[in-house]
Amino acid sequence: MRRFLPPLVWLTLLLSAAWLMPILQPVFRALTPDRSTVIYQRDTFFSLLSEHVAIVTVSAVAAIIIGVGSAILVTRRSGEEFLPLVSQLASIGQTFPPVAVLALSVPALGYGAEAVVVALVLYGLLPIVRNTLAGLQSVDRGVKESARGIGLSPWQVLFQVELPIAAPAILGGIRTSVTINIATAAIGSTIGANTLGDPIISGIVNNNIAFTVQGAVLIGLLAVTVDSAFSRLKYRRRVR
Amino acid sequence: MIELDGVSKYFGDEAAVDGISLTIPDGSLCVLVGTSGCGKSTTLRMINRLIEHNAGEIRIDGHQIRSFNEEALRRRIGYAIQNTGLFPHWTVSRNIGVVPRLLKWDRVAIERRVEMLMELLDLDIDEFADKYPHQLSGGQAQRVGVARALAADPEILLMDEPFGALDPITRSSLQAELLRIQSRIRKTIVFVTHDMDEALRLADYIVVMRAGRIIQQGTPADILENPVDEFVETLVGGRDRGLKRAALTRVGDMMDPAGADACVAAPVVTSDDSMRLAVSLMLWHGVSELAVVDKSGQRVGTLPLSRLVNEAE
Repeated sequence: MRRFLPPLVWLTLLLSAAWLMPILQPVFRALTPDRSTVIYQRDTFFSLLSEHVAIVTVSAVAAIIIGVGSAILVTRRSGEEFLPLVSQLASIGQTFPPVAVLALSVPALGYGAEAVVVALVLYGLLPIVRNTLAGLQSVDRGVKESARGIGLSPWQVLFQVELPIAAPAILGGIRTSVTINIATAAIGSTIGANTLGDPIISGIVNNNIAFTVQGAVLIGLLAVTVDSAFSRLKYRRRVR
Repeated sequence: MIELDGVSKYFGDEAAVDGISLTIPDGSLCVLVGTSGCGKSTTLRMINRLIEHNAGEIRIDGHQIRSFNEEALRRRIGYAIQNTGLFPHWTVSRNIGVVPRLLKWDRVAIERRVEMLMELLDLDIDEFADKYPHQLSGGQAQRVGVARALAADPEILLMDEPFGALDPITRSSLQAELLRIQSRIRKTIVFVTHDMDEALRLADYIVVMRAGRIIQQGTPADILENPVDEFVETLVGGRDRGLKRAALTRVGDMMDPAGADACVAAPVVTSDDSMRLAVSLMLWHGVSELAVVDKSGQRVGTLPLSRLVNEAE
């Protein structure tokens, strides 16, 4: 359990920041003396945090299923033909700025959390597909051949040999994807989702820097907590 | 017994293996030898259906291999390859136990089998059982590869240039090891190599292949004595053949046992050494006579140069 201490510390910080933000009123008062309200009040920080986490979690789960699944499919013999297409798409898609993806999903789906989730899934897919492909392709041909040769079925080769060997790379892709999406979800506030981006946008619109700081601090803490948790998820049977 | 009957394999229009027929009796070590691209590896991999043959029949103990489920067939056939193909994320003992686990042996039986195989292949259990493949030397990894191939006690063992990537000294010691193991367990082994010296040393039966066809098959002595054409003659070393044949002959079969009492202060060979070594000793010491002893060091005969010139003619 000891190795999970750092993420737990970050998590505690995050939760207490969400609960106790109003106590810091004097600090924010000093930051913006000319404003009547210095603490964002349209929603509680805690409910914004939980919606933010919900959006990121739903889109991450979908992106992992679709991303890992499609990378597995195109590395099987039957899906081989799609391998160049998928790996090209994954690299090209990565050059899109996240805001552009978000902006594109509005005309298709209208305003609201659904559009944000779809945009996050699309954007979050790319690092997962790319890393899963790299991980699966790094498995030595001889290893795969001997696995078949000593009598493992195709499923056993995949689950007992290929995926465990590719696991560190896949995990790395998921980590990148989730971390990027925690930040990108904040922009979702501009298209009508309730996220920790709300105080930031509101702060910008109303020229109230205190709101912006409150939103940014919470998003930062959330990102650090999640990233720190991923960095602890080391595989016991690590491949060098 | 493995039988190949008019077996062919085409990749597109090209025949990688072209109508070969071959019978490998139980308990024999058959070596397929030839230059690269001659179809020897393809032939090997058709036996465990990693490659499906297009024409002809392959039978094991009289049953067509197509009548078996692919995986079930492979679990009955050991398979060892050049770069070992060990699973990098598993320990040595887990690697060796993989096929028994697939066959759902119980845990204790697997453990006992793994220990027994590590002993057989001279791998210290305390030192190696929990190591990962990347912590092993090439020779050690190949021993683990052979142990894994033998794990479920298969009747047949397929080996695809298993010692090809090793340095000459390690290769030679693993060849000796394979012969020692084979004398104990008597599997039907099909062994692929491009190295004729390796083939001559290991084989009960040699099959020379070229361009997808078998151009000669026979015992090592046969192939050495009567190569069918220039290609085979080149493979067996051309004018170097004398020494190759000497390498196949035991000193004990050539010595003069009557000379056992004679007191010559000569260099010593054991009766199990090869004639090649004996000739080398004569050249090195500049003598025409060697003293022959048995394993315990007891003098059993004499080997004069004349003996070997006359016998060899």
